Amino acid sequence: MSVMQNKSEISKWYLPGIFTGLGITMKHLVKNLFNRKDMITLNYPEEKYDYSPRFKGNHVLTVKKDGSLRCTACMLCATNCPAECIKIIASEHEDPAVEKFPIAYEIDILRCVFCGFCEEACPVDAIRMGPEWQTPGLAQSQFIYDINHLAYRPTLKGGVLTHVDDEERHKAGI
Amino acid sequence: MPKCTINGKEIEVKAGTTIIEAFYGGNERIAHYCWHPGLSVAGVCRLCMVQVEGNPKLQIACNTVITEGMKINNVSEEVKDSVKWGLDFHLINHPLDCPICDQAGECGLQDQYMEFGKYNPEMAEKKVKKHKVVDLGPTVVLDTERCILCSRCVRFTTEVSKTDELGIFNRGDRSEIGTHAGKPLDNKYSLNTVDICPVGALTSKDFRFRQRVWYLKDSDTICTGCSTGCNVKVYYNKEGLFRVKPVYNEKVNGHWMCDEGRDMYKWVNRESRLATGLKRENGALTMAAPGALVKELSATLKKYSPEEIGLVLTGQYTVEEYDTLIGTFASEFKTKNIFHWVNNKESFEAFDGILLRGDKNPNTKGLLKVLDKHGVQALWSDLEKKLAEKKIKVLIVAGPENGFVFPDVDQKLKLFAGAQQVIWLGSYRYEALDAMTNVSHQIPLKTCVEKEGTFINHDGLEQRFKRATTVVGGALTLTEVALLMAGKPLTIPVVKETFVEMSRRQDQVQLEHRKKNEFNFKRGAL
Repeated sequence: MSVMQNKSEISKWYLPGIFTGLGITMKHLVKNLFNRKDMITLNYPEEKYDYSPRFKGNHVLTVKKDGSLRCTACMLCATNCPAECIKIIASEHEDPAVEKFPIAYEIDILRCVFCGFCEEACPVDAIRMGPEWQTPGLAQSQFIYDINHLAYRPTLKGGVLTHVDDEERHKAGI
Repeated sequence: MPKCTINGKEIEVKAGTTIIEAFYGGNERIAHYCWHPGLSVAGVCRLCMVQVEGNPKLQIACNTVITEGMKINNVSEEVKDSVKWGLDFHLINHPLDCPICDQAGECGLQDQYMEFGKYNPEMAEKKVKKHKVVDLGPTVVLDTERCILCSRCVRFTTEVSKTDELGIFNRGDRSEIGTHAGKPLDNKYSLNTVDICPVGALTSKDFRFRQRVWYLKDSDTICTGCSTGCNVKVYYNKEGLFRVKPVYNEKVNGHWMCDEGRDMYKWVNRESRLATGLKRENGALTMAAPGALVKELSATLKKYSPEEIGLVLTGQYTVEEYDTLIGTFASEFKTKNIFHWVNNKESFEAFDGILLRGDKNPNTKGLLKVLDKHGVQALWSDLEKKLAEKKIKVLIVAGPENGFVFPDVDQKLKLFAGAQQVIWLGSYRYEALDAMTNVSHQIPLKTCVEKEGTFINHDGLEQRFKRATTVVGGALTLTEVALLMAGKPLTIPVVKETFVEMSRRQDQVQLEHRKKNEFNFKRGAL
């Protein structure tokens, strides 16, 4: 341990230190009383910080125009995930144009390290990192997010629309 | 024996060898799709281009026979360029739906693009749309957009399975694979077309979308579906086994295997397995560790006289297991009541001319050999007679590992009900056993992917296989059962070459380096 010790004469006295400390406190008190806008502390949870829109928070599964999941269950996010927190079960879709889709998509958010690799790996813009970060829960089971939560939770107001559309791609001849 | 030079290496080949075969023999890389060593030459993919010295143009390696003194290379810029743009032509109408394609990860297009392609596509036209998810038959799904028309599957159905279901229809860029009207792809070898398909055009219904291939490990083993003993690869991960594919063996199965054998993983997976030892106590079944159960059985068995003990064996276990188990019963328990359970007597000798045999056990020959060695000549009719006369009191049954090929189980269980006590050894879970009050113990056994051993196939060929994975933790092999029943301790076989001390890597950090590591010594002061 490297501890800096002030061994000067003045530091042996008690009161000078006390008054210096109180002086700093009083300075901030007066500053905050007369200039409340610049006060650093917030009344959390009533007041919250605004983060950048690029903030990597809780995941969102995007949806197509008809409201179904954009995800094709290619498992690239699960493969790329360093925390191995994504679990997908794929199945055959009755529509041959869709072919493959996830019947289960679970993210264990307590394992997640919010690195954003899933978002980067996704070839069809099906998973994004959303702005949410305050997600308390009472039991561990509440931190395993399923499709219902990831795509259709109330805060998403019906789901986030993807910008990759198969029909448009097919029309373009891709 | 003509001599030729391949990429500067001089090799001697058999007369009549094509260039591509020589490339494979010399372990040289060459791009190709349509050529398959088990099929005839089609020469349609135009990727295996090689330059033969003295010839003005490039030639395809698959259809050119080597002549004396040929100088061949496939590394010149001209060849590389031709392969690259040949690949571009293949990918013109390819949908590039790798994310949802089951072949991704083991796809010929992906591999060869990374190895020989890496171009920027120069195709500005729209892609031709074809049929997706075409149901070809009970086992295979076709995606005509992904198909590169290599015609391997068509040649397979004409040359190997000789069923002629598939063909190429239409012309030009609209041509596609399909089945002839009203005739589905339905033969006993249909899934081989999925294996040989170099792209994801043909996919197996059974495996479709169940796993991405890069999540699977593979291990070589032997198919236990019938007495042919095809060499196969099982693909598994921690969730279980997912598929089986053939491995080339000239003496046994060539490049192929049947569809029935591919179901092998189903009776190995946990869902169909007896997972714990079961013991009947006062009429109720209780679970217990299999090893402990067998150990306590050894005392019970010693109470019976040799004539009262019977052993029933199926042809599903390895030679080593038979040897120890039969040896134990013959020497320790002094009984000759060892019987061979034949599951399908009528069709035992059947053979379909390709691979499938009527004897649905991988090791009938091995069992007969071991029985012979120990001089056991008991007949099945003796068992029936002795059970009827109540001469056999305790019957130990090493039941089937593959539950699907024993149609006579119910009938045999009725027969076993005549014994006072039945000890069932087996890996397959039979609900009917729980209802039989005379079945005192059910001991889970390991399946062929969980142990190593030897199978002797119909031809008398001994094939040794390795352990691949563990599915049921506490399961025993028959060898272990035999040792425990005889009251001997289990020994862990020490294999010299993989002994830990020998294979351990040298310590990378030497002692003096450690001494010099100041961080360790000055940690308190920092």
